[in-house]
Amino acid sequence: MSSAELTVESTRRPISGRRVRFGDLLLQVVAGTAAAGATVLVGLVAWKLVDGARPSLAKYGLPFVWHVAWNPVIGREIYGAGSFLFGTAITSLLALLIAAPLAIAIALYLTELAPRFLRGPVTALVETLAAVPSVLIGFLGILVLGPFLQKHIEPALHSALGFIPIFGSPSTSGSSIFTAIVVLAIMILPIVSSISRELFLAVPRDLKEGALALGTTRWEMVRGVMFPYARGGISAALILGLGRAVGEAIAVTQVIGGGVFIHWNIFSTGDTLGSKIAASYQGATSKLEVGSLIYLGLILLVFSLVMSVTAQVIVRRVARRQGTGHV
Amino acid sequence: MPKYRSFIRRTALVGVVAVLAVTAAGTAGASRSTKSGTTLSGAGSTFVAPLVAQWVNPLGSAYGYELQYSAIGSGGGVAAVTARTVDFGASDAPLTSDQFKACNGCVQIPWALSATAIIYNLPGVKNLIKMNGPTLAKIFMGQITAWNDPAIQKLNKGVSLPSTKIAIIHRSDNSGTTYNLTDYLSSVSPAWQSQLGKGVAVNWPVGSGQRGSAGVAAAVQQTVGGIGYADVAYSLGNHLKFFAMQNRSGKYATPGLKGILAAATSDQKPTPGTNELSIVNPPKKYPLAYPISTFTYVIVPTRSPKAPDLRKFLFWAVTKGQTFGPKLLFEPIPKSVLVVAEKTIRKIQS
Repeated sequence: MSSAELTVESTRRPISGRRVRFGDLLLQVVAGTAAAGATVLVGLVAWKLVDGARPSLAKYGLPFVWHVAWNPVIGREIYGAGSFLFGTAITSLLALLIAAPLAIAIALYLTELAPRFLRGPVTALVETLAAVPSVLIGFLGILVLGPFLQKHIEPALHSALGFIPIFGSPSTSGSSIFTAIVVLAIMILPIVSSISRELFLAVPRDLKEGALALGTTRWEMVRGVMFPYARGGISAALILGLGRAVGEAIAVTQVIGGGVFIHWNIFSTGDTLGSKIAASYQGATSKLEVGSLIYLGLILLVFSLVMSVTAQVIVRRVARRQGTGHV
Repeated sequence: MPKYRSFIRRTALVGVVAVLAVTAAGTAGASRSTKSGTTLSGAGSTFVAPLVAQWVNPLGSAYGYELQYSAIGSGGGVAAVTARTVDFGASDAPLTSDQFKACNGCVQIPWALSATAIIYNLPGVKNLIKMNGPTLAKIFMGQITAWNDPAIQKLNKGVSLPSTKIAIIHRSDNSGTTYNLTDYLSSVSPAWQSQLGKGVAVNWPVGSGQRGSAGVAAAVQQTVGGIGYADVAYSLGNHLKFFAMQNRSGKYATPGLKGILAAATSDQKPTPGTNELSIVNPPKKYPLAYPISTFTYVIVPTRSPKAPDLRKFLFWAVTKGQTFGPKLLFEPIPKSVLVVAEKTIRKIQS
């Protein structure tokens, strides 16, 4: 931190020793205000969430976080985030588990293996996937993926791997946690693959060629040179993807089916923090329900902050170990 | 090549001129219509939206009002009128006491009347198969899981029902339609009443949730064996199959105008103060009544700068406005309710 300040200090000081020029001052003010604005905004969001969640915070306190219950019917209201927290964790982690190897494989193919004329178009297509609005991917989930998974993939997985509890009996309609996982995986895929591609491209050519010259196979070169070099960056990309999956609301609401329970069967319906807020905030009927929904938002914010900090820590640690700032 | 370029330039120029002309005409038209009258803005229920849409032109020519309605859902309508960003809100479910308090001096007026259809998808089986309340409650509670269950078969002698699994599809968002259905199920099934109750969302024990009537209908159409629910205009408009529901007299009624009217003329009176009015499961003496019928409400602040115009609009809506209903399967509201509605409208003052 202090070294960073030092560099800023030294570049800001005019070289010739003249007084600070107006342009520099303006830049300082504008950029400083922007940075302060972002910080204040995060603070405000957190404050508004705590303030809005007050009825629920006062009534349930911390146990709300793991309590499995959600009944908005007036007269028998009870709220808890347990099942949504579980849903968020299982959907985002499994989505990452599906997307990560695929994304890294795509990135490797595009940097090392694909014929040169294919690299441009395929890269562009993968990047377009990242730009598809989530509501459209949700539609894809409802209209195509859901029915397809329900009719073909879920029964197959159930009959082959049914002894593992997560592959229980197939869903009755196309909506399930599994559909949500696949939809999220599609969303994460382009993020992780395009960042990984950049990272692989940044691996110094002489390192790669050196390895090959030593007689390694291409796979050994990838494993021995490229992966270690890009490891920190890939971890950060994965966490970024995880963050996207955790926060996604609309597309998940469209395909997950809802329900307040913890099932190990991923072919059953469920809810995540984001999808519950998206489904229920409009038209919430009591103060306590609104407060509880905002409490869910607060949990989501904390979840995301923890993840983003983790990503930064990983990146910094790897950068330090490699002795380069390059990640 | 130069020729080609000049062609492009000319076409572009013509295009720009055309767009400008249209925009100018548009703004001129808009300013003309706003000059001649007051704008009344509303938001809420998607259920009542087709009816409100019918009112725009006649209201414009009768009083010069410009009616703007956003069908953002009942919940959104309540929120909007609570924040006073619109002149009126529309909701299919009556306000809860928390919502009344938050709205700070709002009244709720029943202003339209329709029904919820229970839709299903069972290829090879005819439309309007028979269903009764207790059986429907058991289906939605997950206690009846196959179409050829004796309880359903008993009601439909001679119909060959398959052993297909029943897939329940319900709303995942808060909805007046859910309120109507769960209000009905609570009144016919003590088990439903004690375990689940009624509300714009309940703690569904089985099934999968979808957003909006459109989401539910799409999922039902995709799922063989699916059962869902949607307002009757939507169900008919999309050619969905729905149940004939047994009412208290033992007769089977369909969610048509006759069935809705019979349910609405039953004895129930609006609750004093809130004007809340439930007409589900009406008494025996109305053999034609469709048992899952419902009023839908307009919510207005009693203090409004546009009070005279709002009063005029609402009087029109509950009288003349009702004549636009039947072709959209909204039955005109009965006299007894009209009296209460008009009395409440008079409370709106500036």
